Amino acid sequence: MTKGVDVDLENVWIRFGDFVAVREANVNIKGGEFFSFLGPSGCGKTTILRSVSGFLEPSEGNVRIGGRDMAGIGPNKRPTALIFQNLALFPLMKIWENITFSMEVKGASKAERRKRADELLDMIALPDQGEKLPSELSGGQKQRVAIARALCAEPDVLLLDEPLSALDLKLRQHMRTELREIQQRVGITFIYITHDQGEALTMSDNVAVMRAGIIDQIGSGHTVYNDPATPFVASFVGENNVFRGKVKSIDGDMALVSTNRTGELLARIATTVQGSLKVGDPAMMFVRPEALNIAPDISSAPNRFAAMVKHEEFEGQIYNVFLEGSEGKEIKMSLVNIGKERQSAEGMNLTLEYVPEQAIVLPAGELASE
Amino acid sequence: MNVGQLFKDFFAKNGIGLGTFLLVAVLFWVVILIVLPQLSMLDFSFRHHLPPPEMGGPKDTYTIEHYKYLVLGAPGADTSYNVVDLGVFGRTLLAALFVTILDLLLCYPLAYYLGQSRGGGAIRILVLLLIIPYWINEILRAFAFRIIFGESGLINEMMLAMGLISNPVDFIRANVALYAGLGYAYILLMIFPIYNVIESLDRNQIEAARDMGAPWWRIHWRIVIPYAKPGISSGCTMVFMLSAGALAAPQILGGPSSLWFTQIIYQWFNTGGNWPRGAAFAIVLLVTCIIIVLSMMRLFKVKIGDIGK
Amino acid sequence: MKTNNILLKFILAAYLVVFFGYLLGPLVVMSITAFNSPSFPKLTPWECLTFEWFDVLAHDERILNGIENSLIIGIGTVILSVIMGLAGALMLTQIWPKLRATYYTIVIAPILIPGVVLGISTLVFWDRISIMLGMSSGGILHNGIFLTILGQSTFIASYCMLVFIARLQRFDTGLTEAALDLGATQVQAFRKILLPFMKPAIGSAAVLAFLASFENYNTTTFTFGKFPTLTIELAQKVRYGINPSISALAFIIIVLTILGALAHEIYRRRQQLALANGAPVAAVSGGFQLPKIFRGNPAAIILVLLTLGGASTLWFAQSYSPDVCKMDVREQKRLIQEERIKAIREKRQLELQQKQHQGPDVFGGSKSAAPATQSPGKGAFGNVFDPGNLDKSGPGAVKPQEPTKSPGKGAFGDVFAPQNLDKAAPKED
Repeated sequence: MTKGVDVDLENVWIRFGDFVAVREANVNIKGGEFFSFLGPSGCGKTTILRSVSGFLEPSEGNVRIGGRDMAGIGPNKRPTALIFQNLALFPLMKIWENITFSMEVKGASKAERRKRADELLDMIALPDQGEKLPSELSGGQKQRVAIARALCAEPDVLLLDEPLSALDLKLRQHMRTELREIQQRVGITFIYITHDQGEALTMSDNVAVMRAGIIDQIGSGHTVYNDPATPFVASFVGENNVFRGKVKSIDGDMALVSTNRTGELLARIATTVQGSLKVGDPAMMFVRPEALNIAPDISSAPNRFAAMVKHEEFEGQIYNVFLEGSEGKEIKMSLVNIGKERQSAEGMNLTLEYVPEQAIVLPAGELASE
Repeated sequence: MNVGQLFKDFFAKNGIGLGTFLLVAVLFWVVILIVLPQLSMLDFSFRHHLPPPEMGGPKDTYTIEHYKYLVLGAPGADTSYNVVDLGVFGRTLLAALFVTILDLLLCYPLAYYLGQSRGGGAIRILVLLLIIPYWINEILRAFAFRIIFGESGLINEMMLAMGLISNPVDFIRANVALYAGLGYAYILLMIFPIYNVIESLDRNQIEAARDMGAPWWRIHWRIVIPYAKPGISSGCTMVFMLSAGALAAPQILGGPSSLWFTQIIYQWFNTGGNWPRGAAFAIVLLVTCIIIVLSMMRLFKVKIGDIGK
Repeated sequence: MKTNNILLKFILAAYLVVFFGYLLGPLVVMSITAFNSPSFPKLTPWECLTFEWFDVLAHDERILNGIENSLIIGIGTVILSVIMGLAGALMLTQIWPKLRATYYTIVIAPILIPGVVLGISTLVFWDRISIMLGMSSGGILHNGIFLTILGQSTFIASYCMLVFIARLQRFDTGLTEAALDLGATQVQAFRKILLPFMKPAIGSAAVLAFLASFENYNTTTFTFGKFPTLTIELAQKVRYGINPSISALAFIIIVLTILGALAHEIYRRRQQLALANGAPVAAVSGGFQLPKIFRGNPAAIILVLLTLGGASTLWFAQSYSPDVCKMDVREQKRLIQEERIKAIREKRQLELQQKQHQGPDVFGGSKSAAPATQSPGKGAFGNVFDPGNLDKSGPGAVKPQEPTKSPGKGAFGDVFAPQNLDKAAPKED
């Protein structure tokens, strides 16, 4: 099958009237990569995808696929295939006709198409389903047909617009693995759009996190999760406890942040702002629920603070403790259930600690809304 | 966005071939079939009645003589207004209004009943029964009423046989046949808009109102009718326009003494042979109907988009 | 509460009866008059069951010619209206939002513009165009078929457009995008995706357009020129003298309509059933499962009964001859005349006798005359409603048919079948 090609967005702006849907996007997607655009609904990620597939032209900037400028090239002439959010299977065509539609429009013979359809049906583990209509398949089966249909066009780039959002949780998790497997097998570039950070992190080689038309950060799932570039990324990707304050002192890549309620807290400065963050800057300190622990004693330290337990949730493998935080927001701590008796109770004052390298300091900025 | 960009987008979206086809088909319809003929008729109505060779000649100037004729009558007539034609015009509009109200009263209960009973085979049959008469030719429907209401028609014969009357009643002259026939012709156009709207009315609303002790007439007055307003006005508009513009039913069922305005127009085009005058009368009918409908819609706060649903 | 309910139900039932009586009564009455022998269509007095009016109809040149013109115009109107309506509906989804309301008003207006106005404006416009182009009055622009198709399409396209808009609202534009994305050209996407989706709507729009064209009078009456349609011919006939052959035509149209409606209903049910079972339509309609459709499907049963009824009626029409009955009626009328004459003669004789024997007695003469005039009247009355009249049709079957009758009957059968098929065909799609 075709080897994946690079997709480049160079200074892409997309406007609808006065509304700016995408602002100065610069992305380099490597050939054969599984790349995700992650962001809340309305952040412009679908708009980017549509500009890659050719349904709309950027107002400014270039889209290149395999180094070729795509300006003025319609969706039917681009080496991309799009899997739609609602799959958009043709309801009046049989499954095999759906799958081989791209061959039909090129004038392939029926025998040729049947043969190819059978191959692809085998690949998606739906043999002998070719004569059915889309309405007779289950959600997961339709999903696979949509993938097969897109792959049948032998695209260099496969675009997926939240294709799993209509599935239930179990199936969604299963399809994640399957998609990743297919991608590795066919080796072409996948560009995936989602608002589900779990999907993005599990499947992608690289993730672009978007907010209101702006790409905040591009990096591997690991980077985006552990070393966020903006408060938005920190709060959107995974859960995070945020502490607002001011930078009191900086020592190498570590900074001390003075907060209103929880005193002075030590944390690592995010890689992207190292050098630019100054003493006295308003800052935000982020520490993940799983990075928090109950301190063995109540002595104070720059990586410790005290808070009162408000309530608890037991999830089985972990239990979550919610503590009173500032600005009415709760602090969440996730403890691994190791069979020990719980050390907390409602109303109890606890001293929490964390590893300072696991906490991140960023200049104050916009957070993801809940 | 400028117009050029619009066209560019349009062709980009549809492709050259399909885009051209769409544009040509729609322009042909809108411009050649709808707009230009109406404008041409308007223009024509302001022309003198001339034999074809003189058209476009020096005598072919604009005039309002045909409109003047409708209002004032032929020059030198003994009355100062054209009582005959204006009378027919007024009577046509009143009769159309009467037919509209008749249809509304007749159809509202059934539309409500059909709309509120959930599906079922019996309802489907009722709906089919409603549609079937509409598929029968307009002329034949009028003809049926003539069989029933004629001098030796069914009703007269029956009443004679029962001894209710001693001489046949002339239903045709009394316009009973005409109103019955017109009302009959447009029943479906009244029922379906109302039915469609009422069908979407949440049954719980009615039940809630009943629960609160509202009597049935109040439920209709306060809940069903306000909700069904778009359907009602859509139905009324169509029935009114079609009754006022009807030609076949008045020709077949109308009494000899009571003309319909469309019949006068028809006469100017056929026996009268004065096309510009007929066109002028048609314009008057069209404009009046539009004004009446628009003011009704303004009055009941309904949009044009609700028509034809 | 309970009595209230019963009262309400009674009122509802009464209302329904009155309503549907108003709706269907005229059609029933008209249909029945097609089988009554008096030459003016009437239900009462019932004279003889006859099929001769179908025969008259089948030999009416003007009606046949009208049907032909109507068919030509209908086909032309269907093609033009469906194309324009479809384009109009597609344009509505794409037009610049600021223009949309204006555009919609313009294309929906023909529904509200009186038909006579449309007819006149079409006539006037093309007349002036042809004068402008210097064409002779016999040119294409004065051709009745050309003008009628244009005039009718002006508003029928609006009806079609409404049908298409309703269907388009359920269309997922993502499907077209998906097709383009998979390499289809715009035309391919239109032909392979949108058009198949619109097919049912195109079918119903075509049927609607044809029916609307077929029955149109107001517009056509100004534009038909030398090509009167069936409706125009009917109007002429109805206005200037009628015989029950029109009733016969009405009966045929009514039967065809009912058959069409029922076929449609069955088709719809079958689809619903298929949808409910989640099985493809083909599986449900296939072979031995068919009887299942009849269960819980009164429409199908009615259709079958109607077909049987129609077939037996046709057979009956072939074999039945109303001549006996008509002779009877003539005989009755003759008898009445004779009795009258006899009565008058008797009266005169009586008078003469009385004059001779008892002198003038006016009262006695009228007394004896009265029973004499009444008895034949009774006889006529009794005969009409006597079922024996119907029985007499039995021997008619044995009687050799007149040669003139059979071709007429054949024509009637022919008219029945192909139209029936034509009508059902677009719906079955």
